[in-house]
Amino acid sequence: MPMIHMTVNGKAVKGHAEPRTLLVEFIRDTLRLTGTHVGCDTSQCGACVVHVDGHAIKSCTTLAVACEGAHVTTIEGLAHGTDLHPMQEAFREHHGLQCGYCTPGMIMSAVDMVNRKGHELSEHTIREELEGNICRCTGYHNIVKAVAAGAKAMQGMAKAAE
Amino acid sequence: MKPMKFGIGQAVRRVEDVRLVTGHGRYTADEIPEGALRAVFLRSPHAHAAFRITDTSAAKAVPGVRAVYVAADFADVGDLPCNAPMPDAKGKVMPLPPYPVLAKDVVRHVGDAVAMVIADTAENAMAGAEAIAIDYQEKPAVSDMHRAIAAGAPLVWPQFGSNVAVAAVMGDKAKCDAVFASATHVVEVEIVNNRLVSNYMEPRAAIASFDAATGGYQLISGTQGVHNTRGLVAKIMGIEPEKLHVVNHDVGGGFGTKGFVYREYPLLLKAAQKLGATIAWVSDRSEHFVADAHGRDNLTKATMALDGEGRFLALKVDILGNMGAYLSQFAPYIPWLGVTMATGPYDISVFYGEMRPVYTNTVPVDAYRGAGRPEAAYVLERLVDACAMKLGLARDAIRARNFVKPSQMPYKTATGRTYDVGEFEGAMRQALSKADYAGFAARQAASAAKGQLRGIGFASYIECTAWGSGEEGSVQLDEDGNFTVLIGTQSNGQGHETAYAQVVAQSLDVPLERVRVIQGDSQKVKSGNGTGGSRSIPVGAAMLNQASEKLAVQLKELASDVLEAAVSDLEIIEGRVIIGGTDRAISFAEIAKLPKATPERRLAVASFSPPEATYPNGTHVCELEVDPETGAVKLLRYTICDDFGMSLNPLLLAGQVHGGIAQGIGQALLEGVTYDDNGQLLSATFMDYCMPRAEDLPSYHFETRNVPSITNPLGLKGAGEAGSIGSTPAVMNALIHALSARGVTHIDMPATPAKIFAALR
Repeated sequence: MPMIHMTVNGKAVKGHAEPRTLLVEFIRDTLRLTGTHVGCDTSQCGACVVHVDGHAIKSCTTLAVACEGAHVTTIEGLAHGTDLHPMQEAFREHHGLQCGYCTPGMIMSAVDMVNRKGHELSEHTIREELEGNICRCTGYHNIVKAVAAGAKAMQGMAKAAE
Repeated sequence: MKPMKFGIGQAVRRVEDVRLVTGHGRYTADEIPEGALRAVFLRSPHAHAAFRITDTSAAKAVPGVRAVYVAADFADVGDLPCNAPMPDAKGKVMPLPPYPVLAKDVVRHVGDAVAMVIADTAENAMAGAEAIAIDYQEKPAVSDMHRAIAAGAPLVWPQFGSNVAVAAVMGDKAKCDAVFASATHVVEVEIVNNRLVSNYMEPRAAIASFDAATGGYQLISGTQGVHNTRGLVAKIMGIEPEKLHVVNHDVGGGFGTKGFVYREYPLLLKAAQKLGATIAWVSDRSEHFVADAHGRDNLTKATMALDGEGRFLALKVDILGNMGAYLSQFAPYIPWLGVTMATGPYDISVFYGEMRPVYTNTVPVDAYRGAGRPEAAYVLERLVDACAMKLGLARDAIRARNFVKPSQMPYKTATGRTYDVGEFEGAMRQALSKADYAGFAARQAASAAKGQLRGIGFASYIECTAWGSGEEGSVQLDEDGNFTVLIGTQSNGQGHETAYAQVVAQSLDVPLERVRVIQGDSQKVKSGNGTGGSRSIPVGAAMLNQASEKLAVQLKELASDVLEAAVSDLEIIEGRVIIGGTDRAISFAEIAKLPKATPERRLAVASFSPPEATYPNGTHVCELEVDPETGAVKLLRYTICDDFGMSLNPLLLAGQVHGGIAQGIGQALLEGVTYDDNGQLLSATFMDYCMPRAEDLPSYHFETRNVPSITNPLGLKGAGEAGSIGSTPAVMNALIHALSARGVTHIDMPATPAKIFAALR
């Protein structure tokens, strides 16, 4: 089994991965970072979204070996100690989560959305951009509010999260 | 009730959220210990077939495979239970088909489990499952209910001679027929309540272990109540419940569907015992579509008799309820529950209902958010709109004319329920006003100018929640001055840790982080009836409020000695007991250290059993646009005015309503399980089962118009399911309203663009 190396949440890590091992499996099973979730098997739900080299990707559809040398940020890497990332804080403040299972992927997608689209996000943009993230609990109303507020709150940060 | 900073009625932020937004939630699959074995279930690809497992040696030879189990290996394990068989008109209870933990000789739906493979990794277990030699002889299958009840249909259970399990009836048919015979108007609708899949985002998972030294089993899983799970699994396994420890950590959504006992739980526990190992199983999404109970799936014929002024004289409903191939835990009761709510918020004195559960070669059906009440509300509100259309009455006028009036409360329905309170017209008027119903014509004209069909529709619903079993629990002052709640309900994401802490804070005036809520552990929490039927707040919070008030008195008694003051002179303010109007006080931490503060005096236990259900109600208003060129529907405006009796936490309450609405909109426009005529499941992934996405849905305007319930001391009414009950008919009534401009008066759910496009041509 090949040994692969990555920087995950700012820390150099390595581990064995089979050629077929998915990035999400490497993150969850090898690195034991269980905040990244698996909610489907067809790359639809987005519970597994992480950032690879600054871009949101679905880690259920990415091979771990393809991320050799990459910088990976998972939901565990967003907060600074006990200070929540503004997007995490916005989800909490606006009740943008219920069961919390889709939340890590939602937040990682939302941060990526801000990186790509800026801090003033319309409701239309947010809803359209969230097409790859499914939530069954909230009806999205508060997620949309949280993303808009989180985007504004991220103003002034250096490029977020990485 | 005195407003407290963190207490009842405050929109406080959730205590659960920091762990959940930082990736530190603990869902079952996150808890699989190093070295645990993994289980995979081999499931039938056929809807109906005789089968024989001819050889498992190749499977056992797959590297890493530790065991291959078939039905014969679990001869000592009982069947999965159905606890709600229905009687026929003469009181004869329907016979129950067997529901073995692994299929024996015959599989009856796609996904029926035939074998379990245990290996060191999930991949090896899968390879093992694929290596099992199995010989299927396909049999004719039936998935559609109309076909299933027709003469000569393939029988799911030949020994019963019919796919109709029973005909349960309510009311006096002759009396009802007589009213219909003399009625001025009779309006009939035929309604499809499409089959849905729960699709909580966390697929089910379980970790089973066995301790040979004590003979004790442990099951870690995501359920809706550890005690119910323990009791049922223990019964299936033939062990004492005390020998089984059930643990829930974070549960990623449930919606009723995670509450049932599933075959995987006893099987994994038995395998753990046989192998002396910890065994984990994690369902994938496709497995969820075939292994977890489905929801809804009723066909209903509903008929209303009216007088010349549009007053409802009598109602008849005739329901076919698809059960699937086996009877899940509550299956036959679910459509029946809908029958008991069939007359809704209207004063209809004569009723006759018939409900026939039907077997088909499909996944078993059971309770899913609302469980019978969404089906009933959808049927009734479509029928009421059809009545308005036939008689040429305004939709609000016909409702107002027929609502049960506040002066009629308590009101006994023709279905035997007693509504305690409710102001149905008040909620409807407020919702319509907020939705600017009066100004709709101008908006419709603007849409028409763009070539769009605009519609507005609404639904006034009432539902029943929090009936039946009570809840016993406790709150305790810990030695460090904080509080611990023990309660046997189970959060699936609703935010119980926050809501219950607020109840404690109401009496003890402490910040929420000083209240620890313990749920989901059958050893730590003595008893419980779990979460379901929107009961956790109306029953659980009502109970916990009593416990907290009791503890407040006990703590004042302890403080009174030290402060040398009468209990009646003491107040609780900001975590201290204080002599009113003075600065003499003692903190809870100091009270906990008093020699007299024995564990018994620091603990208050309470129990509460609801004498009747609570009856939340309200009106949903939906406004939408249909593009006649594509059949696409755009939801433009959504307004809700609900009566939940009392709002414990307005933020969490709104969240429950929003989520329910999304599921109701999903049923109306997007979601639908599709089987082909041979029982093959065509919608088993998110690629072909259309889940509501953010861009499919609007923002919601939600407000309350609460009339406190009188069946619990806090005036609460359950709010977990209501959103899914009012929404489906509101959306469909709006859609029909839009399409009626082109002469379309009926369309079935899910009203996909393709269906709408076809209906318009």
